[in-house]
Amino acid sequence: MLTLILLPIIASVFTLLLPFKRVHYFITASVLVTLTLVAFSFYSSTEIVTFHLSHSMSFLIVAADVILLLYFLYQGIKFRSANVIFLSAVQLLLYGYVESIAPTGGPAEIVVDNLSKFMFLIINGVGGIIVLYSVRYMRDEPVSATKKSLFIAGLLLFLSIMNLIVCANSILLFFLLFEMTTLASYLLISFRNDTLSRANGLKALWMNQIGGVVILLGALVAIEGYGTVMFDTLLKSSGGMVLFTVALLAMSALVKGAALPFEGWLLGAMVAPTPVSAMLHSATMVKIAPYLILKLAPVLGATLLGSLLSVTGALVFVAASYLALSRFVFKEILGYSTVALLGLMMALAAIGTKESMTLAMVLMLFHALSKALLFLAAGVLEKQYHVKNIEEMKGLVHRAPKTVGFILFGFISLTLPPFGLFMGKLLAITSISSLLRERPALLIVVLSLVIGSALLVLLYFKVSSALLSAPSDILPTQKEHLPYGFSIPLILLAFYSIATAAGFIIIQGDLFIAWLALPLLLVILLPSMVQKMERYDRIQPYHCGEKELFDAALVYYEPSIRVRQIIYGGFGMLFVAVAFIGVLS
Amino acid sequence: MTWIWIVLAPLLGGLIYGGERVLRARMQRRQGPPLLQPFYDMFKLLDKRTLILHAPHALLAVAHFFVLWFTVAAIFLGWNLIYIIFLHLFAQILLILAGYSVRSVYSHLGANRELLMVVAYEPVLILVAVGFYLISGSFEITTILQGDGYWHQLPLLFVALLIIVPIKVKKSPFDIGEAHQEIVGGIEIEYSGVFYEFLYMSRFLEYLFIYSFVFLFGGESYWLGAVLVAGVFLLVNLVDNATARVHAADMVKIVYGFAMSFAIINILGVLL
Repeated sequence: MLTLILLPIIASVFTLLLPFKRVHYFITASVLVTLTLVAFSFYSSTEIVTFHLSHSMSFLIVAADVILLLYFLYQGIKFRSANVIFLSAVQLLLYGYVESIAPTGGPAEIVVDNLSKFMFLIINGVGGIIVLYSVRYMRDEPVSATKKSLFIAGLLLFLSIMNLIVCANSILLFFLLFEMTTLASYLLISFRNDTLSRANGLKALWMNQIGGVVILLGALVAIEGYGTVMFDTLLKSSGGMVLFTVALLAMSALVKGAALPFEGWLLGAMVAPTPVSAMLHSATMVKIAPYLILKLAPVLGATLLGSLLSVTGALVFVAASYLALSRFVFKEILGYSTVALLGLMMALAAIGTKESMTLAMVLMLFHALSKALLFLAAGVLEKQYHVKNIEEMKGLVHRAPKTVGFILFGFISLTLPPFGLFMGKLLAITSISSLLRERPALLIVVLSLVIGSALLVLLYFKVSSALLSAPSDILPTQKEHLPYGFSIPLILLAFYSIATAAGFIIIQGDLFIAWLALPLLLVILLPSMVQKMERYDRIQPYHCGEKELFDAALVYYEPSIRVRQIIYGGFGMLFVAVAFIGVLS
Repeated sequence: MTWIWIVLAPLLGGLIYGGERVLRARMQRRQGPPLLQPFYDMFKLLDKRTLILHAPHALLAVAHFFVLWFTVAAIFLGWNLIYIIFLHLFAQILLILAGYSVRSVYSHLGANRELLMVVAYEPVLILVAVGFYLISGSFEITTILQGDGYWHQLPLLFVALLIIVPIKVKKSPFDIGEAHQEIVGGIEIEYSGVFYEFLYMSRFLEYLFIYSFVFLFGGESYWLGAVLVAGVFLLVNLVDNATARVHAADMVKIVYGFAMSFAIINILGVLL
C-alpha cells in the first residue's frame, strides 16, 4: 500500500535531482514495472486493508487543504478570474465551518477495498505507461531542462495522489485529494503558459471547484444528519438525508467526469502537452467520476435518484458523441468521445445492480487502455509529423503506417468484437434489457446506448477516412521510423488491450463469445496474403476523366445554435435536478 | 443439415437475388434476366482480368464477404441476436475501411454513405432484438423461434423493421449506398473481376441477413415466417419501383423520426 503512494513521490524527487537525460527513462520504467507488479499483487489478494490516520497527519491534511484553497484564491486574484475568487472564498468558508463541526475518531480514514484495488490496476498500469512515454515526448518540447524534469515529477506525484484518492474513506480526505487533482489539472493545463493555456487552465480550475463545493456541502449534510464524514458509515445508514448527501457527491462526479454542460474544461485541456491529456483526461483522473458513482451505487439502486443519474449519464453519451461530429482537432474528438464514454460508465454504475456495476468497471479498464493508446498516438503525430487536426491527416497512412496502425487499432478496440469495450456494451444491452420490465425508465439508457454507439462508430471511422486513402501501391510505402520511447508504450498498451480482452472472454466462460474473435483472426491473416497479390495488375482509381487529383471532403455534422442551446440548457437542468431529487427523497 | 444450409448460403442468397430481378422485371412489364443470372455473372467475372488498386483494399472485400458469411452462419445456428448484429457491424466496418483505403472520391463518398446507413439501421435492429427479448425472454434465436408469433405483439417494431429493410438490400428510396447515377456504385466502383465477385456475393448474404429478421416475427410457425418474408419481399420491390431515392441525410431523419418512434412506442406498450 505504502509503495503505491510513496514510490512515485520518491521517484519524482529523483527526476528533479538528476539532469534530464536517459536516466529518466530508467526511473520511469522501473516505477512502471514496480507499480504494476504491486497493483497486481494487491488485486490478487483478498484482504481489505484499513488505516487510521494519526492526529498529526489529520492536522497536516487540514493545513494542506487551507494552503491549497488559499493558493487557488491567490491564483484567482493574480489572473483576475471572478469565478475562481468567488468559488475559492466559498470553499474556504465552508471548509472552515465543516472542519469545526467535523467529528473526530470513528472508522478508518483509509480503506482499500476491491474497487480500490481495481482502480490501482488502471491507475498504475496505464498511468505508469503514460509517464514512461512522456519522457520521450518532453525531450522535444521547447522548454528548459528543469521544467521538463518538473513535468515528469508532476505526473509521478499525480500518480500517488490518484492512488490515495481511490482508497479515501473520509469525505474530507477525499475532498483534499479531489482538490489536489484539480490543482494538478490546473498546473498541467497551463504548463505552456501562453494566453490560451492560462485561460483554459482557469476554466478547468473554476469548473472543478464547483465539484469541490458540492463535496463540502455533502460533508456538511452528512455531519448534520449522521455525525460522520466516512463513506462506509454513511452508506450503511438509512433515511432520506443519505440520498441527499449522495446526490451532492454524485454532482461532483458529474463535474469531474466532464459531463455536459461541464465538458468545456476537458476540451480546453487539449492545449496541454499530450501526456497530460492522456493522463488526466482519458486514463486516470476523469475515472474518479465513475469510481465515485460506483462507490455510492449500493444506496442508489432502484431509487429515483439512481434512475435520474443513469438517464443523465446515458444522455451525455449520446449528446457528446453527436457534438464530437462537428470537431476537427483530433484531440478534441478524442476528448468528446471520452466525455461520452464516461457518461455511459456513470449510467451503468448508477443502475446499481451487481452486473451493471461490473460492466461499468470493465468499461473503465478497457476505455483507459484504448484512450491512452489513442492519445499517445496523437502525441506521436504531433511531435513527429506536426499534424493536429484531421484535415491535415489525409493520406497519413502512407507516411506514418505504424502510427496510423496504432490509431486504427485503438478505434477498432473501441467499437468491434472481440475487444473489451464492445463486450461491455453488448453485455450492457443484455443486462439492461432484463431490467426493463421493473424499471421502464431504463429504456432511455438502452436507446442512448445503441444510438450513441452508432454515432461513435460514425465518428471514429470518419476520422479513419482521413488517415487512410492511400494511393495505389505502385509507389513504395515509406518506412516509418518510430523511436523506442514512443513505440514501447504504444506496444505495451496494445498488448494490454488484447490480453485483457482475451482474459475477459475466458472469465465469461461463454463459448459463443470466443467465437466472436474468429473474424478477427481473418483480418490478422490478411497481411500475410498481401505478398500473394503480386500477380494482379494495378490500376489508378476512377476519377471520372478529371486530370487533377481531388479528394472527397470529410463530413461534419454541426448542430444549429438553437439545438446547442437546448442541449446545454437541458443538461444544466438535469444537473440541478440531481440536487433537487436528492432533497425530495 | 444446418451446416449444409450454411455452406449453401451464398447460393441461396443468389437465387433470391435472381428471383428479385425477375420479379422487378415483371413489375415493369419487361422480360428481365433469367433466374440464374447472378451465377452467369459470377462465371463472367471470374473470367475477367482482375485489376486492383492495392492489396489491402482488395483483401478487405474478401474479409467482408467471409465475416458476413460467418454472420449468416451464426443466424442459421440460432445464436444470440445481439452478437449477430455486432458481427454484421464488423463486416460493414471492413467494407467501409476498404472504401476509405483508396484515394478515390466515389469510393469515399460511398463509404461515407455506408457509415450513415449503419448509423440509421443499427439502433433499430437492436431495438427489434430488445423487443424479441421482452416477449420471449431471450436473445437466442433458437429460443425466439419457439415463441408463438410476434407480429401481433410487436406490430410497430415490425413496421420499423420494414422501414430499414430497403436500406440493407439497397432499394429505393434508400439505395443511397451505391446510387449508380450519383456516385457510380460507391465502394463497388474500385473493384473488378474476382474481387468484385466477392462484393457481389456479399449482397446475396445481406438479403439473407435482413430477411431472417423478418422471418423471426413468425415465431414457431415457419409458415407464418415465410409468408411474412414473401410479403415484405413483394412490398419492398413494389416500393422500389414506385419511389425515387431520398437524400442521404433525409434517410437518417426518416429512420430516426419514424422507425425509432415506432420502435419506442411499441416497446413502451409492451412494458407498461
